Amino acid sequence: MNPARLDRRWIYLLVFLALSVPIVTQYTVQPARMNDAERFFEVVEGIQAAPGRYAFVAMDFGPSTKGENQPQARAVVEHLMRKRIPVILFSLYYLAEPFLKSVPEEVARQLEREHPGETWEYGRDWINLGYRPGAGVLIQAIPKSENLAELFEKDARGNRISELPAFSGLRTLRQIAFLAEFTGLVGVFDNYVQYFTSKDYTPAFGHGCTSITIPEAFIYLDSGQIQGLLGGLAGAAWYSEMLRQRYPERPVDESLMLNTGLGVAQLVVIAFIVLGNLAGLLRPPRRRRHGAGLDVEP
Amino acid sequence: MTSLDTWHAATVLLGGIGTLAIFSFLIRENPFFRLFEHLFIGIAAGFGLVLGIKNFLWPKVLVPMLGLDIVTYPDGSLSHEYDPRLLLYLLPMLFGLLYYFIYSQRYGWLAKLVIGFSLGMSGGLAFKGFFNQIMPQVASSFRPLAVFTDGVLAWGPSLENAFFIFTLLAVMYYFFFSFRHGNRAANGFSLSGRWLLMVCFGAFFGSTVMARTALLVERVQFLLIDWYGTVVNLVT
Repeated sequence: MNPARLDRRWIYLLVFLALSVPIVTQYTVQPARMNDAERFFEVVEGIQAAPGRYAFVAMDFGPSTKGENQPQARAVVEHLMRKRIPVILFSLYYLAEPFLKSVPEEVARQLEREHPGETWEYGRDWINLGYRPGAGVLIQAIPKSENLAELFEKDARGNRISELPAFSGLRTLRQIAFLAEFTGLVGVFDNYVQYFTSKDYTPAFGHGCTSITIPEAFIYLDSGQIQGLLGGLAGAAWYSEMLRQRYPERPVDESLMLNTGLGVAQLVVIAFIVLGNLAGLLRPPRRRRHGAGLDVEP
Repeated sequence: MTSLDTWHAATVLLGGIGTLAIFSFLIRENPFFRLFEHLFIGIAAGFGLVLGIKNFLWPKVLVPMLGLDIVTYPDGSLSHEYDPRLLLYLLPMLFGLLYYFIYSQRYGWLAKLVIGFSLGMSGGLAFKGFFNQIMPQVASSFRPLAVFTDGVLAWGPSLENAFFIFTLLAVMYYFFFSFRHGNRAANGFSLSGRWLLMVCFGAFFGSTVMARTALLVERVQFLLIDWYGTVVNLVT
């Protein structure tokens, strides 16, 4: 086999095999420390549960970015539910609908297994407002509203929010102590930065983004518009690790395993980049005229 | 096996087959891939439409407008009176439907009214949003070049701020095309902006590779754990 004319399918196969090993063997390594994820964790840790105080979690992701956004959302919802802060789940993205239902239910089941005798219930610990069309127009209405329970009216199950005991007192933006938003869609995230604020109050804001949008999200972190950032799967893994340190009884979750697989796959990609460049450099000068890269068969 | 388990197993099986169909494109273009690609696009489009009707149009507009939320109690009294002002909802709905005149050569101008309204509304919203989004970032770019901690110059933060301001100005200058960059210093400053942009694009590229790999990891985990487990369960 001529390495300079490598069929790209060999690369796919090697990446697949490399990242399969940690998944099949359930092998995990300690994730890298992420300062921005720690800031996110500290913000949530600092919220004190009190009657009439809520966390608003916007899951604006679908199956296409589930791999990164779901572990982030799961870790943050778990943290909030451990602290017994009532969570309001919501989305501006229609493909998020299944995750709005499954994520809190899975977290509740896990917490109940961990703490026999204690319960986490829908309507008391969380509600699901479902997918809401309207994007920026809807978000603008939130800080203007004097009665958010009436604005949203019903949850995704058809219950009137004013009849759910823990959420019937939801009135104004000031009661939302924390906003968390998870998405790979920059335009959707912008809606919250722009409009989820009033003249005299802006809730603490944590953002979970996909790896592609990390460089852009740093701008908002730097300017103080968000207080914490979970960057891709690595951010979720470090948040998960911090949860495990804070709650030692917590089992290792899948984000650590996925992050290990990601690391291994990244090493394979880096190895191929190095090999490709070396092969290009070692080529005779005459053949290097039209580019120094490895010829990869289409 | 309960009906819920069967349903779950069926969705996992179908999800695995769909994933393999899409990945089969890596080998070569094939009809199996095409079929699932079209299925995915169709389902995503249909899902959005149904949710829009189910979560908004039906409960928020049609149910109150048609009076379907009024409950008649056994004594004949009503839960609430019908408000005829709800019929005003018809006005924006009819106005929105004018968009479909885009297919008519003669009445196409009616669609332009809707497009103009949408553009005006979006422009107004964006104007407010722009200031909320950008102004804090502009303000945060004004940084002291010398940072003092307890009266002592903090070299780290000071260098960080200096580098930030140099990068900001160099990149902005690179995109300044109003007049020719006359001298070597100006050209060098512009060139450094270009190089800094290249570093930024490299970071973007690296992030993109990482994001795509992360999505692949999730799919491989699904195939190897969930899908394979379901297949083995069914076979045994």
